[in-house]
Amino acid sequence: MYKLLLPLLILQTNILFASSTHDHDSDNHAYMHKNIDGSNTVIDQNKYNIFVKDLSNVKIAIVDVKGMVCDFCARGIEKTFYDDKSVEKVNVDLGAGKVLVAYSNTKKIDVDEIKNIFLINGQTATNVIIKEL
Amino acid sequence: MGIRKLSIICTFLLLVSVVEARPISWSGGSTLMYKSNSMFTSYYYHYSPSYKYSIGLEYMDSKHFEKEYINLRTTYLVDRKNTKLSQRNLYITGGISNESKDNFHYGIHGDWETRRIFTSFAYINKHTQTKDYSENEFQLGVAPYIGDYNDLHTWLMLKTKKDTINNNWETYPFIKLFKGDFLIEIGTKNSHWDVHYMVRF
Repeated sequence: MYKLLLPLLILQTNILFASSTHDHDSDNHAYMHKNIDGSNTVIDQNKYNIFVKDLSNVKIAIVDVKGMVCDFCARGIEKTFYDDKSVEKVNVDLGAGKVLVAYSNTKKIDVDEIKNIFLINGQTATNVIIKEL
Repeated sequence: MGIRKLSIICTFLLLVSVVEARPISWSGGSTLMYKSNSMFTSYYYHYSPSYKYSIGLEYMDSKHFEKEYINLRTTYLVDRKNTKLSQRNLYITGGISNESKDNFHYGIHGDWETRRIFTSFAYINKHTQTKDYSENEFQLGVAPYIGDYNDLHTWLMLKTKKDTINNNWETYPFIKLFKGDFLIEIGTKNSHWDVHYMVRF
């Protein structure tokens, strides 16, 4: 009986621990998203909530960016996204190295297209998450 | 900052020798610059077909040589390393003048920056009909606070440069401010103002 219960206990602990890292963490207001490649993307829930406050029926692209260390250098990202008429809102977070892009729901989002926008601006998009509102 | 990190930055500055900050814009972006110091006043417009290079025209009023001319200039990004916390760039640059085929320049410059620290170097060779000379320049900057996107960003900078005409190193502080698409650098040395203004569109 003891030998049967111990593995079950370990399994249960793992499930609880795993779900706590994937779900909203109310202490630091961070949402951790598990990516396909095994890496984690931390989303600041407060900033995300402020971004989506006035939005509805949109798709949000959350992009992790490398090399976005300077405001002056990141201006092109915002300008290039706004050239796309389906983009409703863009938010650049230099501190977190993240860009949030809200597309109208009719937009078929192409992750490679998003990554290319960063490439032509001289930065590197390492991960893109799509969420629907 | 640890002594080890500081020593790495100092070593970097010693090993490498920027003409101007961000010499290439985003793909399809344009930049207008005004620069004035004890040697010259220039107005420079460049266009970046790609984030890899820019090409532009510069009107130059050389106070030292008492001449006015136009340069056709280009800058190419040789290497860029993006990390989560930093960006490093290495550029080559060159230009020719409408004044004479003997009036041209070429050089190399690079920078490394985080949101807190900026370092850069430049080495430019300039050829004119009457005199050939070179310019070396190093910059080190610290951001006293970390601003968010769209905030006013402030950098306290130290520049040291030497040209083979005056043949001595001149070191002076300047301040770099930018907000949105506008950037201005103001410094002073030997009672001369060193001003650099830039707008991107």
